[in-house]
Amino acid sequence: MPVREGTYGLLAEFDTPTELVVAAKKAYADGWRRLDCYTPYPVEEAAEAINFHRNKVPLLTLIGGLMGLAAMFLLETWVSTLAYPLNIGGRPTYSWPAFIVPAYEWTILFAGLSAAFGMLALNGLPELYHPLFNAPNFRDGATTDKFFLCLEALDPKFELAETKKYLQALKPASVVEVEY
Amino acid sequence: MAHDEHSNSHTNTLPAELGAPAFVGNWQKRAIVVGVVFTLLAVLLAVLENMSPNGLAVDHLLRGWLLGLMMSFGFAVGGLALLMVQYLSGGKWGLLLRRPLEAMSRTLPLVFAFWVVLAIFGKKLYLWANISDTAAALKSGIITEAQAHAIDFKHPMLNWNTFIITGIVCFLIWGFYTWRLNALGLKRDSESADTTPKWIKKMENISGPGVIIYAITLTAAAIYWVMSLDPTWYSSVYGLLFLVGQGYMVLAFSIIVSIGLSKGEPFKTVLRVTEQHDLAKFLFAFVMLNIYLAFAQFLIIWSGNLPEEIPWYLDRIRGGWGVIITLDFFFHWLIPFSLLLSRDIKRNKKRLVAVCSWMIFARAFDLFWLIEPNFKDAARNLHFSWGILEYAAVPAAMLAFWFAYFVTNLKTRPLVQTNDPHVAEILEPVHAH
Repeated sequence: MPVREGTYGLLAEFDTPTELVVAAKKAYADGWRRLDCYTPYPVEEAAEAINFHRNKVPLLTLIGGLMGLAAMFLLETWVSTLAYPLNIGGRPTYSWPAFIVPAYEWTILFAGLSAAFGMLALNGLPELYHPLFNAPNFRDGATTDKFFLCLEALDPKFELAETKKYLQALKPASVVEVEY
Repeated sequence: MAHDEHSNSHTNTLPAELGAPAFVGNWQKRAIVVGVVFTLLAVLLAVLENMSPNGLAVDHLLRGWLLGLMMSFGFAVGGLALLMVQYLSGGKWGLLLRRPLEAMSRTLPLVFAFWVVLAIFGKKLYLWANISDTAAALKSGIITEAQAHAIDFKHPMLNWNTFIITGIVCFLIWGFYTWRLNALGLKRDSESADTTPKWIKKMENISGPGVIIYAITLTAAAIYWVMSLDPTWYSSVYGLLFLVGQGYMVLAFSIIVSIGLSKGEPFKTVLRVTEQHDLAKFLFAFVMLNIYLAFAQFLIIWSGNLPEEIPWYLDRIRGGWGVIITLDFFFHWLIPFSLLLSRDIKRNKKRLVAVCSWMIFARAFDLFWLIEPNFKDAARNLHFSWGILEYAAVPAAMLAFWFAYFVTNLKTRPLVQTNDPHVAEILEPVHAH
């Protein structure tokens, strides 16, 4: 990967979640798309404000769950009917009620693992470097009590001086430029 | 999403008028019309059944009545139970559901009236109540050896006197808790806010034993009224199945009522999308618990494959009933489960109401599968008769009248309890954590 240089984006710091949500809503409404919110705890409205609501975690979970279900059910069917067809209490070898419990457990297991690892993968984790940590106020505040809105340089609307002015009009505590 | 009109930073205020909005009067009128229509339909079906050969008009009316009784009983006493659970658990949802649940519990007199009808005319339904001389009945082939043995052995419990006495005792207990919680609920509101901690403790202390007593009395009722229709069979999880079934239908109904009420104040203010979402998640838990118990019972009996137990399932699977049990599985688990997985459906008023209504229907369908195959003419032999439609007509009429009575109760009190620690929280805008 080539070394990226220049500006990653402009980071506005807010003291309350409400201010962040108001600012993020406005930025989204004004046409910004390469933007992100950073909060010390989940603020659902911030995600809604920048229309980041849909992600693929539910789909991955569903697929994982169905895979677990199919895998275990088929394994049991194969074991009981083909590999070791035993007569247990005179029941047919294909006795599906007995297969349900392990199949269910595997559904839960696979769905849970898919959700956890899928979430990490979709977040791009593990990630060893992120430019935002170059901003000292982000390092100190993002996990404690500050709320951040970042407008990224990749957005076609991005224009360093203009964007800075635009962000300052949203009345943040500060606006800092973040380098790659 | 622009659905949230309260998303700016100001705090809401509780409306001055906390009574039920005027439009619930229309609900009531509509319910009475529906009740009358279905009553006429039930009579018509009884006439048609009576004209057909081997018609069992009275029997089917009574069977439908039993289903209607179990449904309305589920709402009334299940509502009382959920109210007690709420007092024990605490939480914001109590602020929303307490008054609707109280109104549900106060419909107990009507449920008692329904039960009295069963107690007077219902003897016909119960095999053990009709056979006085088991030896003679066995000889003439009316009952099997297993039935004769079970009726003799269970006679101390399964006889009409204990049936009546147990019923009355149960209703007295439920009546006591209904009266106590409803009276105190109103008294709590008449006192100032600094009494809240005292009231929380007091309600907890009543509800704690109440929930246990409810579980016991409900089990007794479920055993006498439904399980004993087949005197040979028993299952130790049976009471719990009805308990969870009641939670399932009561919660679904409460959500429908809350969303219906949110078209006007005060629920327009207090039912925020967050709380609706939470209630729907709670409902989802009941969907899971319900299938968990139902399947656990099936798996254990299927594994054991004992001649005392398995016929109960065979009666309900063979002879066409396999279709019904498959549909039952789809209706009361797969469909609500799949739909309630979706976050959007849980947060959408219209769709959530549709799912909840479906679940109430599914509960009734499940009861149909539990009740009908108990009878000799229907066991392992699903067949159409005009009478079988009574399972839809009679409960629909009973529930419509029950609903009208519920609305009457709902109108008598303010819809929000104000002496509650969560009032301030529920008035906050959604994102100001």
